[in-house]
Amino acid sequence: MIEALKNTVVAELEKIVGGKFVSTNQADLYIYSYDLTPAESNWPDVVVLPQNLEELREIVALANREKVPVTPYIAGGNVGGLTIPLEGGIIIDLKRMNRIIEVNDTDMYALVEPGVTFGQLKAYLDNNHPTLRYTYAFSPPSTGIASNAIVQGLDNLSFRYGAASAWVCGLEALLATGEVVKIGSGAASKTWQAIAPFPELDGLFLGWQGTTGIVTKTAVNLWPKHAYETAVTLMPMDLEGAYAIFQAIIRTRIPDDLIGTSFQLNKVGEAAYTHLKAPIYPAPPVDPKDPEFVITAEITGNTQKELDAKVEALAEAVKEKCGDHKYLGPDTMPSTTAAFPMQALGVLSSGGGLMWVGTYGPMSTWLETVKRGCELQDKYNIARTCYTRMMNEGHFAGLRWMLPYDKEDPELVQIIKDLCNEQLDLVLETGYIPYKTPVWAVRKLEERVGPDWIKLHRRVKEMMDPNNIMNPGRWGKPG
Amino acid sequence: MSLSDLKEWLYGCTHCGTCKEVLNIFAPACPSGEMYRLESYYPSGKMLIARGVTSGALTLDDEVLERIYACTGCLSCEQQCGVYHHQHIFEVVQALRTEAVTHGYLNPAYMIMVDSLKKDDNVFGKPKAERGDWAKEIEIKDASQENVEIIYHAGCMLSFDPELWNIPQSAINIMKATGADVGIMGMEESCCGGRAYEIGYIGEFTKYAEHCIETFNSLGASTVLTSCSDGYSTFKKLYPNTGIEMKFEPLHMVEYIDRLISDGKLKFTKKLPMKVTYHDPCHLGRHLGDGGVYDAPRKILQSIPGIELVEMVRSRENAWCCGAGAGVSQANPELALWTANERLKEARATGASALVTACPWCVRNFRDTVKEYGEDIKIYDISEIVKKAL
Repeated sequence: MIEALKNTVVAELEKIVGGKFVSTNQADLYIYSYDLTPAESNWPDVVVLPQNLEELREIVALANREKVPVTPYIAGGNVGGLTIPLEGGIIIDLKRMNRIIEVNDTDMYALVEPGVTFGQLKAYLDNNHPTLRYTYAFSPPSTGIASNAIVQGLDNLSFRYGAASAWVCGLEALLATGEVVKIGSGAASKTWQAIAPFPELDGLFLGWQGTTGIVTKTAVNLWPKHAYETAVTLMPMDLEGAYAIFQAIIRTRIPDDLIGTSFQLNKVGEAAYTHLKAPIYPAPPVDPKDPEFVITAEITGNTQKELDAKVEALAEAVKEKCGDHKYLGPDTMPSTTAAFPMQALGVLSSGGGLMWVGTYGPMSTWLETVKRGCELQDKYNIARTCYTRMMNEGHFAGLRWMLPYDKEDPELVQIIKDLCNEQLDLVLETGYIPYKTPVWAVRKLEERVGPDWIKLHRRVKEMMDPNNIMNPGRWGKPG
Repeated sequence: MSLSDLKEWLYGCTHCGTCKEVLNIFAPACPSGEMYRLESYYPSGKMLIARGVTSGALTLDDEVLERIYACTGCLSCEQQCGVYHHQHIFEVVQALRTEAVTHGYLNPAYMIMVDSLKKDDNVFGKPKAERGDWAKEIEIKDASQENVEIIYHAGCMLSFDPELWNIPQSAINIMKATGADVGIMGMEESCCGGRAYEIGYIGEFTKYAEHCIETFNSLGASTVLTSCSDGYSTFKKLYPNTGIEMKFEPLHMVEYIDRLISDGKLKFTKKLPMKVTYHDPCHLGRHLGDGGVYDAPRKILQSIPGIELVEMVRSRENAWCCGAGAGVSQANPELALWTANERLKEARATGASALVTACPWCVRNFRDTVKEYGEDIKIYDISEIVKKAL
């Protein structure tokens, strides 16, 4: 931003939110310029923290008038470089807009501002609505509820209900042009129970990475919290066994959550829980007696009897359909929900960096994709770190290879980048689509989607954001 | 420690934000982050600043220093973070402060403090000769002249703040009531050096550490007792780093009273019908790691007839800071008072009419906050309460 314009913008921002919540301090600009991924950093010109919709509206109006880019920010913990301001401008840190506006116990939804975090909502529900639950993401508790939904995250109820964007039952969004739009039942009534039967205008915001507007309120489904819960684990000795077990469990429709990880990832991550560094490179030696994968099914019940019956039925299904495969288990253990909020520690303890090619794709090519992705990790001498979650009762799968790395080691950073490039080419070939898509992957994806898709995408972007101020350079319009 | 000594910890942080809230409770953990809300004020932001300074992306100018000095050193971040660098977060902040001092970027508020240390051996700019005035009316041995079993070290805050003199006076009363052989150093006492350490003046700290250890060793007392949690953690945690043998046991007043009660040497004769909550000073808790003193003050309060002790949501290892630590009350009173008021609101929410603590820095800051913000609550040091019940 040129200096004169910057001075004007900063002065205006200070009028809107007060000087305390506007910063051009080098320390702030540096911190907001990059994230835990190896994405190239870029400094914003100014950071602002509004407290309410009115302030936010004035900020966006100013940005639109002056054609200054804005990048919404909550915790900055996405693994896609999505809050790095590619073209500078204003970072709008939304953490002060953190009210839980409503929890409707009967209609089972929560209406929250963008700064509300998983930790905050969990504590609120535990204290005020103990029979209801939301989910937790495989991420720190400071992760935003709204941002997780907007970037279509996968959480611990995703087997039952799909990606987090599918649980959005209403939105309020601020457009670049200043309008504030309510979407779903909340547009026409006092309750926010569903988007249907309205046209699904939430699709103008979900999955767009903040490039079409700023979501200012999000209504999300809540679910009854069952009194009884447990986790069942199975450890197949090879990936074929893992695939067979997943197939067997999917068809039971029993679990709330069904995930699998490379055994090596668990092994490496163990160090983190004793406060040690957990490096994945060079790959530690593999004991041939070790299993290849750890599969965990999360099961809940209204009664102990129901829970026991579910566990038994699941075990029988696996036994019946996976007899040709070698695996350990099933074993029951405490529910994985007990691991919140530290469940991600294992991949946050390798030296400040975390990267992955995160994707959603078909089960029909899951086995081939996982095998080839793991072989690529072998090629780079990196421990196998596959993480997969069955989504929406097995209609698709979340799949990624977690790559925690040491940011201080430039050689390793380059290896991680090279590996990710190869893994991205692989997943695109096998029909897996990157989510939380970093900009370098967006461009690769655009090469595959056809000109009409791009034309439509850009037309929508231009309609929503005519001056291209909303997190520019990402979906909809290159920089 | 310098930043280069801490290199292995600088890249630990992924900026995941877990340090921002108390684990499982999800209530705020970091005073400066919570007050200012910009990422640079949170512990993860400060870790990134250290990285930026080390890599040359940032320079330690006034703008950056303002963030670095906005930290009360409460160590709540180290309690919440689980990553391998977690016990070194404040060390990194402290190293940034040292780096600033080394390069001549001095904070004016601290220059006054350091000048006073050099001239009068205290952090308040008061004449050294007045150091023992709090004990003028008390008959007590001069530990610099006579052999005693216990040296009571008042520390800078209790020595020079007449409004707090009731605290060391109560402590001495309790000891005398139980027949302890105690003395004080009077004007010969000097600062422990802890505050100098926290604001980056390592040379000053080392000077006081060496002086205090050698003095206490030469006087032959078995115990150095203090009511100051900052001083206590300096004795207990920082002094061993000098490598000089300590021939005495550092003890905090709450530990001492707790022992007296356990040994049946202290009997309470009066009933104190009060509902109180206890605030854990950071330097008596988290700063001591696994040796944090959490049970002793609670046992004391629960043994006093009439007292009902109620806990705040954030207590023990997860206590919210009073706001006064690491030089913040001198350089950034706005942050210090705001932080304390957040605590007082939490204390009032328990229904308690009084907050009891065990550190004069906490007491001073809470009492100032009551005056500033008007929260309806009484503030006591634990010795004052014990003395009332004797």
